[in-house]
Amino acid sequence: MAEPQPPNLHEGATTGDVEDEVQAAKSAEDRKAAAAMASMGSNGADDANGSTAVDQEAASKAMQSLGGEAKKPEAAVQKKVKVDAADVTLLVDQLDLTKPKATELLKAHDGDAVKAMKASIAV
Amino acid sequence: MPQPLSAKENSLFRQVIRNYEDKQYKRGLKAAEQILKKNPKHGDTMAMKALIINQQGNTDEAFALGKQALMADMKSHICWHVYGLLYRHQKNFEEAIKAYKSALKLEPDSLQIQRDLAFLQVQMRDYQGYIQSRTAMLQARSQIRQNWTALAVAHHLAGDLTQAETVLTKYEESLKVPPSKTDFENSEAVMYKNTIIAEQGDYQRALEHLESISKTNLDRLAVMELRAEYLTKLEKKEEAVKAYRALLDRNAEHPDYYNKLIEVMGIPAEDTAAKKAIYDEYSEKNPRSDAAKRLPLDFVTGDVFREAAKKYLTFMLDKGVPSTFANLKHLYVDSSKKETLESLAHEYYEAKKSDAGEAKADDPFKGEGAALYYLAQHYNFHLSRDLTKAMEFVNKGIEKAPENVEFQMTKARIIKHTGNTQKASEEMDKARNLDLKDRYINTKAAKYQLRNNETEKGLETVGLFTRNDSPAGPLNDLLDMQCIWFMTEDGEAQVRKGNVGLALKRFHTVYNIFDVWQEDQFDFHSFSLRKGQIRAYVDMVRWEDHVRDHPFYTRAALGAVKLYLDMHDGKTLTDGVNGEDKNGDAAERKKAAKKARKAEREAAEKAAKQDPNKPKAAVDETKKKDDDPDGLKLAATTEPLVEATKFLVHLLTYTPKNLEAQLAGFEVYMRREKYVLALGCLNAALALDASHPTVHEHTIRFLTAIRSKMASLPPKVQEVIKSEFTAIAPSTDLEEFNDEFLAKHKGSVPHAIAAIKMKELVDEDEDQASVEKQLASLLGAPGITFEDAQSILTILRGSRSKELDEFKKKAAEKWPEVTAFA
Repeated sequence: MAEPQPPNLHEGATTGDVEDEVQAAKSAEDRKAAAAMASMGSNGADDANGSTAVDQEAASKAMQSLGGEAKKPEAAVQKKVKVDAADVTLLVDQLDLTKPKATELLKAHDGDAVKAMKASIAV
Repeated sequence: MPQPLSAKENSLFRQVIRNYEDKQYKRGLKAAEQILKKNPKHGDTMAMKALIINQQGNTDEAFALGKQALMADMKSHICWHVYGLLYRHQKNFEEAIKAYKSALKLEPDSLQIQRDLAFLQVQMRDYQGYIQSRTAMLQARSQIRQNWTALAVAHHLAGDLTQAETVLTKYEESLKVPPSKTDFENSEAVMYKNTIIAEQGDYQRALEHLESISKTNLDRLAVMELRAEYLTKLEKKEEAVKAYRALLDRNAEHPDYYNKLIEVMGIPAEDTAAKKAIYDEYSEKNPRSDAAKRLPLDFVTGDVFREAAKKYLTFMLDKGVPSTFANLKHLYVDSSKKETLESLAHEYYEAKKSDAGEAKADDPFKGEGAALYYLAQHYNFHLSRDLTKAMEFVNKGIEKAPENVEFQMTKARIIKHTGNTQKASEEMDKARNLDLKDRYINTKAAKYQLRNNETEKGLETVGLFTRNDSPAGPLNDLLDMQCIWFMTEDGEAQVRKGNVGLALKRFHTVYNIFDVWQEDQFDFHSFSLRKGQIRAYVDMVRWEDHVRDHPFYTRAALGAVKLYLDMHDGKTLTDGVNGEDKNGDAAERKKAAKKARKAEREAAEKAAKQDPNKPKAAVDETKKKDDDPDGLKLAATTEPLVEATKFLVHLLTYTPKNLEAQLAGFEVYMRREKYVLALGCLNAALALDASHPTVHEHTIRFLTAIRSKMASLPPKVQEVIKSEFTAIAPSTDLEEFNDEFLAKHKGSVPHAIAAIKMKELVDEDEDQASVEKQLASLLGAPGITFEDAQSILTILRGSRSKELDEFKKKAAEKWPEVTAFA
């Protein structure tokens, strides 16, 4: 059956008539169609003529060495801060913020709503 | 997973895609329906159909169908991709990103989906996501330089300079053959790398790198400028001096070069003589250079200034350069320089007048004429204003050169400063008639008409220089050309005329134009990379991040916020121009509407007569018709404060240092009872200008509101307000405070207005009527200007005061020339 819906995409998609969906192997035709389809809406293809001066092998080697480095640990792990839902609501109301923004702000101030509000209006 | 189709339908499906790409929507739709007849649940086809419908302008239907397509075939990346495209078309980029990501999960190898996703991510400033996408794209096609550069840009924008440099270096190392010297992309990429090194603060390495590429790089000027900059940073004084001299030899008009040269030569700021010597040296080398002659005037003083200014003024006036005054007026903040320039101009004028005989045949704008022009502008300038004298000189000028646009234009400006917008508009139109082919004077004339609330005439005037082939008249072209000044001026005029809808319409137009500017960058994410112009691209991305700090945005947004506040307070809608001629207004509006309808009908007829197969007609068809040309829907909003906040948020984010913005913020948040935010605005305003009259008003209003509301606020909010409201003690006797303020700013009418307004709030003995009386009596205050009187008039009008008519009459007696009181 279908995979779970990606979160918050849209409602109502889970109950489609999918009985008649046949999971067949992708034909070459479809691939072609997909490729064509995929080129829609983009700002023109930029299939640069792979510069001849590039040593393919060297490039991919360089790539790999880069990939190794690129996997650096993502920014310091954010410390876990407990946030009171009531405080979030308060901030949403008082500061005209969206929920995620309010939560973020609270977290940045150790979950202290007063501190967060003060900081947000600091000159 | 796509549902299979028969061979025949498969080819039909391909045709649908082809048709879509070739914009043959009708044909594509037909083919899609043919497939759907046999396979009503074929998701991909439904998705394509949705896309086509969307292109035809039917967004809602397209969305519904797009959803259905997804329901039918949730595992098709095509359906997801289309869904993303629909969202993108709607400018809902966040949802579009989600949809693209789903599509990508189903089809990880699709370069197109990946690319679309990447552009959305950078557009939304999701740099971490952009790095990921770019890394994936590089993995897929590592032989293309663009992909490397793009990854470096991603790291750069995310703030990781080291990684950005590494990426660029890695690519360079992988090259077998060095790129040719004329390879523009390479030249730019190398310079880009150089700026990244410098941004890391490692100037030594940046300099070395620069030297190694300087011979071959195509951007000579950038190399020279960067080299000079690095040398300065590294304190290699002698070489830096040489570098800046080399730059000055190329371009002796660049003020920056002079400043930097003086800096690296170690000349102290006080040593004006030594500084001037540098300029003199270049002035001698380049006798035609303006900068070398003019810039020293900024810092020299006393007799040296007099002499230098005399030389400069004589040179410029002899030549008859119209911009002479504009070049010098920034010096007027120094009162001694102002006086010197005034006397010099007079001297020059007298001298020329006495020996005018020989120069008669010459251009009337040289010598004596130029002096008259300078003096007229001098006395019109706000720091040295004497409108009677200004008028005297400009009339002499007009006498001398009646055909000269400049004199006539200045005359109009002088009249504007007397408050007579009617006459100013007439005079400017006279100036326009002196040179009908000049767009500048045409624009000026239109603006003056708008200032005089002649909106239709203004549009007509500006319409002389627009493309008028659209049925909606010049306004359409102005919209297409994003003519912000017109929208703003017209909006403000409509406010004065009491046309709320149209005014809002114009302000929203400006707002939307800024949105368009934001979206315009979309094309550059791919274009700039393809062209290899990375430095300019990064500049642009950074500029876009603060595009709304532009003064034009500030002005339109402030206008809109103010209007919404009035709507909330119930001050508008019933208010015509002056209240009394409301009926005439309504009739006029009806007439205008009728006229517009007629014009529309005629245009439609004309369009119908045209060959229907003409491609242009098709374009017009798809072009969205404005369903609210008069802004009636905007004016009908039930939540003016919410709308105001929309404008306000950008103001406070991008121009927090603008006092007007903070004041507007206070007004909005107080009405919405968001006291913490209101306090934030108040504190910011206090920091900017604590003695501003309106800030005083706001302080009192805040404390009054808090006193009555404090108990009902959440305890945490109370705590914040208690600790952050520090302007005055919470126990302050406000009546006393207000009186002190009045006494402290005795003689200043704006401060008096503020204090009197507040009396109603803080003094039990005063009510609205007595306050209005006092406001009206300010008319006799010493030093009152017609601008002050105008703001009193606005207040009285806002509260529909009984004093209004009397006040207006008296003001008209006092300032008969001011149009606003007429």
